[in-house]
Order: sequence, then C-alpha cells, then structure tokens
Amino acid sequence: MAEGPIVSFRQVGKTYPNGTVALTDASFDIRRGSIHAICGENGAGKSTLMKILFGLESPSAGQVFIDGAAADTATPDFAGKHGIGMVHQHFSLVPILTVTENIILGHEPRSSIFIDRTKARRQVVELSERFDLAVDPDARTDTLSVAAQQKVEILKALSRDTRLLILDEPTAVLSPPEIEELFNRLRDLRAAGMTILFISHKLHEVRALAETVTVLRAGKVVGTTPLAEVDDAEITRMVMGRDVDVPRRQRQTTSAPVVLELAKVSTRSHDPADRIEDISLSIRADEIVGIAGVDGSGQRGLVSVLSGLMHPASGSIRLSGADMSRAAAPAWRKAGLAYLPADRYAQGGTASLSLADNAIAGTDGDKALQWGPFLRRGAIRQRVQQMIADYAVRAGGTGERLDSLSGGNAQKLIAARELAGSPKLLIADQPTRGVDVAAAALLHGRIDQAARNGAAVLLITADLDELLRLADRVLVLFNGRIVADLANHAGLTPAALGPYMLGLEKAS
Amino acid sequence: MTRSILAGLTEFALTALVIVLVILAVLVPVALSQPDPFEVLRLFVLGPFGTIRHMGNILEAATPAMMTGLAATIIFRAGMFNLGVEGSFFLGGLAAAATAVLLPLTGFVATPAAILVGALVGSLACIVPGYLRVRFGASEMVNSLVLNFAFLFAGVYFLNYVLRDPNAGALMSYKLPADFTLDRLLQGTRLHTGVIIAFVACILGGIWLYGTRSGLNVRIVGSSPGFASHLGLASSKLLMQAQVAGGLIAGMAGAIEVLGLYSRFSWTALPGLGWTGITVAILARENPFLVIPAALFLAYLQVGGDMLARNLDVPSEIVGLVTAAILLAVTAAAIFRHPAFLRLIRDIKGQERGA
Repeated sequence: MAEGPIVSFRQVGKTYPNGTVALTDASFDIRRGSIHAICGENGAGKSTLMKILFGLESPSAGQVFIDGAAADTATPDFAGKHGIGMVHQHFSLVPILTVTENIILGHEPRSSIFIDRTKARRQVVELSERFDLAVDPDARTDTLSVAAQQKVEILKALSRDTRLLILDEPTAVLSPPEIEELFNRLRDLRAAGMTILFISHKLHEVRALAETVTVLRAGKVVGTTPLAEVDDAEITRMVMGRDVDVPRRQRQTTSAPVVLELAKVSTRSHDPADRIEDISLSIRADEIVGIAGVDGSGQRGLVSVLSGLMHPASGSIRLSGADMSRAAAPAWRKAGLAYLPADRYAQGGTASLSLADNAIAGTDGDKALQWGPFLRRGAIRQRVQQMIADYAVRAGGTGERLDSLSGGNAQKLIAARELAGSPKLLIADQPTRGVDVAAAALLHGRIDQAARNGAAVLLITADLDELLRLADRVLVLFNGRIVADLANHAGLTPAALGPYMLGLEKAS
Repeated sequence: MTRSILAGLTEFALTALVIVLVILAVLVPVALSQPDPFEVLRLFVLGPFGTIRHMGNILEAATPAMMTGLAATIIFRAGMFNLGVEGSFFLGGLAAAATAVLLPLTGFVATPAAILVGALVGSLACIVPGYLRVRFGASEMVNSLVLNFAFLFAGVYFLNYVLRDPNAGALMSYKLPADFTLDRLLQGTRLHTGVIIAFVACILGGIWLYGTRSGLNVRIVGSSPGFASHLGLASSKLLMQAQVAGGLIAGMAGAIEVLGLYSRFSWTALPGLGWTGITVAILARENPFLVIPAALFLAYLQVGGDMLARNLDVPSEIVGLVTAAILLAVTAAAIFRHPAFLRLIRDIKGQERGA
C-alpha cells in the first residue's frame, strides 16, 4: 500500500452556476488509516466538500489527489473506483426492500439475467460478520430501528471494497448508547485499516473519536490540527469565528421612535421553521436588530408574519403605531416594508425576466415610470441604469435576464429596488448568503445607510460576523422563542452566542 | 445590449436550422418513394408561394392559428398549463353560429354581436379549469383536457336538438344568414376580414404583455409565484384575468373561423385549431409578436402539404408528421425552460413525495 495521505485537497473551490460561493481554496490532507473529523457550522461548506470527494459535484477550482495522483472527480464511478463509501445524514435506503436487497442494490450478483439471491445473502452475512455489524439480512428495511438502518447504510457503504468511509453527522439520529456502539464499531474499522471521515458539529464526539480535525468556516478551511494539540475553547473559536473583534456599527441616537412592535406574537404551524411562540420585540428607527439561531428555529415564521404572508394566531404587531396583525402583503408593502430575501430567485426576483422587469417590479402606480397602464420604457431604462451604477451591479444591459448575473450582482439589483423608496422597515434575511466579499461589503453599507435614513432593520443571518458587525442588539431564537436579548457590545463574541443558539442556556 | 441581440440572432438561426433539418428528415424519405422526388420538395417548399391564391390560403390558415396561439401564450405566461383553448375555440364557433341562427339581428351589429357571444361563451372552457386551479388547487391541465370533451359533447347535443337543419343531409345547423358572415378579402380564396382582427390582436397582445403594468405583473406571477406574493401582487386575480383573456380570445377565434369560412356550423369533433394554437405558442416562445410568424409558418406547411396531396400521391397527413417533428425538436429546449412545465414537474414530484 502506498504511503502518504489517502486524500489531498489542493486549492479546491466550488462556485455554483448561480454565483453562490460554497467553498474557496480548501487545502488539507487526510491521513491513511485515521479518523478525521470535519467541523463547521451550517453552510460552512462541509457537505459541498464531501459531495466533491464522493463524486456528486465537481470542483470549479483546484484538484483532489487520491493516493498522490490527481483524480478526475467528475465521473459517476469515481467513488466506486477509488473505494469511497458514504453514509448520508438522510438515509438512502429503499424502505420496502430487505436489508440484503438494499445492500446489493446497484451491484447485484447475477446468474445469467437473474439476481443470485443465495449469493447475495451470503455476501451480506459475510460483510456483517467481517465488520461486526449485526443485521438481519432478510428483514424489511422499514421494520428496523433507526440505529439498525444506519448499520445497513454503513454496510452498504462498505460493500464495495471501501477504503474511505464518509459519515455525515451520523450521531444526529442516535441515542447515547447507540452512539457508543457506533463509535466502537468505527474504532474497529480504523483498526482494520479503514480511513474514516467524520462530519459533526458536536465537539465532544469529535474529541472522543477522531485524531485530527479540519475546521471549515464560510467556505474556507480555518485549520487542520491534531486534536491532542488543541483544547475545546480553541476549536470553538475556530468554528465560530475569530476572537478578534469586528468593527461594530455606531448608532446616531438611541432614542429614536419605535417603528416595529411585536407583543406576544405566536403562530401555529406544523413546520417548526414557521412556528414562533410568544415573541415580543421592538425596533426603533435607526436600529438594526439581529436574529441569531440555528436554521429552522422560527426565522421563516417571523418573516412571514412581518410580511403579511402568514397571520399570527395570537399577539399583536404594530408598524409606526398602526395595527398590522391582520394586514396582508400589499398592506405591508404600502406601509413601507422592504425585504431582502434569502432565496434570490424564489422570493427576491424572477430569474427568467429582464433586469429592468425585476428592478421595477412592485412599483405599481409610480407616475414617473407609468403613463396610465403603459410602462414608460425610456424612463425605466434610465432608472434601472441609475440603480445599476449606484449599486455597482456588473451587468451587460437592462434587457438581460436576471439569472445571467452572478449571485452577488443579482442581490445588489434586488437591494437597489428594495431600498429605493426609503423603507420604514427592512427585513434582511441572509442578505449576503453565497455572495462575494466585495458585494457583501457594499450590501452591509447599504443596510447601515437604510437604518441611518430612519428604517427599523431586522437582520436574520447565519453569518455571525455579519451579525456582530451590523446589529445593535442580538436576539437569539431557539425553538421559535427568543432565548436571549443581548446588547451588541465589544465583548460579545460568536462563541458567547453558541450556547444560546444550541438551546443550552437561556437569558431573559 | 449588442450581446443580447447577437444571442437572439444565434438562437433564431439555430432554431431555423433545426426546423429545416427536421423538414428534410421527414420529407426526403417520402420524396424518395415518389417517381419524381424533386417535384415533391419543390411543390412543398415553393408551391405555397406559387400564386396569389395559395398565399391567400396561407393567411387564411394562419388566422385561427394566430388567435389561438395568442390565447395560449397569454395563458402560459401566467404560469398555467391550461389546455382549454381547444374547447374555447369549439364553443366560440358554436355560440357564434347559434347567435346567427337564433337571433333576428341584421345590419352592422350582427357580426360583432355573434363574435361577442362566441367569445363570452367560449371563454368558459378556459375559465372553469383556471378557477378550479386557483380556488381548489386542482390540476388545470387534467381538468381542461377532460372538460374540452365535456364541452364538445354538450355542444353536439345542442347542435343536434336546437340548431340542426332537418332538411340538410347531415348533422349541421341551419344556414348562417349573410349579415353575420365576414367579408371576403381576396377573390378565389376564402380569406376573410378575420385575418386583420388576428394581426391586430397579436400586436395588441404583445403591447399589453411587454408594455403595460398588468402585463408585467402577469409575467411576474407566471415566472416566480413566490416573488409575486412577496411583492403583494394579487396573484389569484392576475391568474384569473389571464385565463379570462385567453378564453375570450380563443372563443373569438372560433367565432371568426365559423363566420368567416362556413355557411353552416357542422363541427361534431374538436376542430384541433386550439391544439395548433398551443403549438404556435410554444414555437413562438410565448411572445405574442412572434406568434404571427410562427402561425404563418405552420400555415405555410399546411398549404404545402395540401398541395402535395392534391397534385401527387402524398397524403396531407405528412404535414402532421412534419409539425410533430418540428414541435418535438423545438420543445426539446422550450419544455426545459417553460416555467409552467417546470412547475408541473415539480408539482408531480411533490405529489409523489407526499404519497
């Protein structure tokens, strides 16, 4: 067997066709026969990296080396050829098939045109004994417990001469004894010479199992270090962001009038992302309130009640004193709501229409752009060219389709439209997700400017750097409730927000 | 700007090339089966331009295709795959004929009244599936497809028991009074004033879709419903408006067809010109301005095919084959980009997950 690392990433980057930058310049090695952990927050680039290694995505920059040789990751049989198996976080088993059928799926042993079931069953039994993962080969998969299904997944991943096993958050679905059991099996696999890549956010698990950890943040490798050489606080800092303080926003006044006021607002929904409970908050003019929280903690519900797409089940919402609890979307718009959405094409614009069409959408009745029912094409072109210049949008012309722009430029155009009419309330929902650095800086400046011009700003973001840079006050959402309300002073760090976001602590 | 023009030209040239290749691919084997293969090609390609009369035939055949193409374009642009255009065309023709037979109108009000009634009654076939979709989320494609036949058989019943002329040899209506029929434009052809209405309608449709606020809003609702609801656009209302407008135009097309071409109403099957309209809309990439050339092109193929059938031993069904092949080639890209189609596929996927 060759010496040296089994896998080396060299300057690997991934930019999606819509301009989202998922990974930049990732370089690190995975040592043969080790358990290597990958840590990072949601959206840090972990899953993109694993998809590249498993051959599901091809990198847009850089190179992956396997056994020291440059590998062509873009071929469908890449993973099989190099002996890479993956256990996905969401199992990919067919529930109505038996364990044996699931494991052999895709490489069934055959006798002429038929599946050789006796041989298949024997293979599965052998595999299960060899790796000490006990499963009933004849059980229907949907009758098994989650832990047993995971064993089937692992066996499936191991069934093709696997040398490198990727586990994507394998403990998320398991109980503590099951986790211990899984870890023992993984240690046995390592002893048998298997290389294991273990993705997790849970630090104590990483420490219990792995020798080396690579931390990713915002698509970049923060560092790769042996676990013996770092303490927990150090890793936390690597995961959550640098310790050095970000420059914070300075408010002009803290006594501006309250613009938005929510009192004990709750929603009813089956989906936890839409469910909020007993939310009370107020935002003044020239104030940016940041919402931190793990994805799906109620952010979507909060946005929906604040834009009229959903009505609260109880509680009251007031905007500039007017009751908006039952107001629909057009009324919110009329009252001065601007919205920078997380999903540029589903909520912020329409991909197949032109920049001009996108830029003037929703300006119904603007006399400068309209003559009766007719649009003034000349005036519109001028207005949109002005927007493009003001927001430094890199675009060919106002007639191009929105999806011909990169993600950052599309977002800048959407911001130009939303911030045009000096809004009273701005909801910025992941305003710079997947946007390049220069565009993000410009958008931050414009959000700050909107606040200075008298807007109340609600900033929802998973990027804690962005949160601390812009917000005057940070609220942490957990399970639809506000669990912390913290002034953003110089001492507040991402690490300090972590326990609230994970529901470990609660402050009032 | 120049880049987008260049891109547009390239797209057009590629489309034209594909169409020429497809026509040849279908026509050459057929031509080879004939004693004089070049005569087949010549007649099909150049024949329709041979005489004024044949060119008149092109316009005559393009008239209903333009109108139904415009109707389908408006409906598709709103993001609905409502196939009620065919039913609307049939009902529009029937209602116009019924007005002519049953109402004692004379003079200059007669024709407009019949067209109006045709449009109003015809629009039902688009409105009903559209409403079921907006109100109950029922698939507009399935409902419109099925309802087309319900409207057909209800219409044939009405024809048989109300409009039927017992002295005519077959199942057809009483003669339509001359005051109701459209004037002929060109001696020796059946070209009628309806062609002017069709041209004007397409141009007005294009101005509405691209030049007015409500046209823009319909395009937004059709291409990105989530964005539309965040903007606070009245999505359901805009969707319904597009279905009503499309239905009215398709109904009007049926009325014009009957009043322009026939002396009696005798459709006992779906005439198929609504389907042609859907073909036209897809060929025209759902642009009302491009509906005109697309409809003219399909009409040109139709006339060429008719000439083959009349002069040589080639059945006119060859046109259906050519059209089908062209559509297949063109939709290979258009289906892929079609928002209504994409949503349809997404919906179907969603239903599978739910099941």
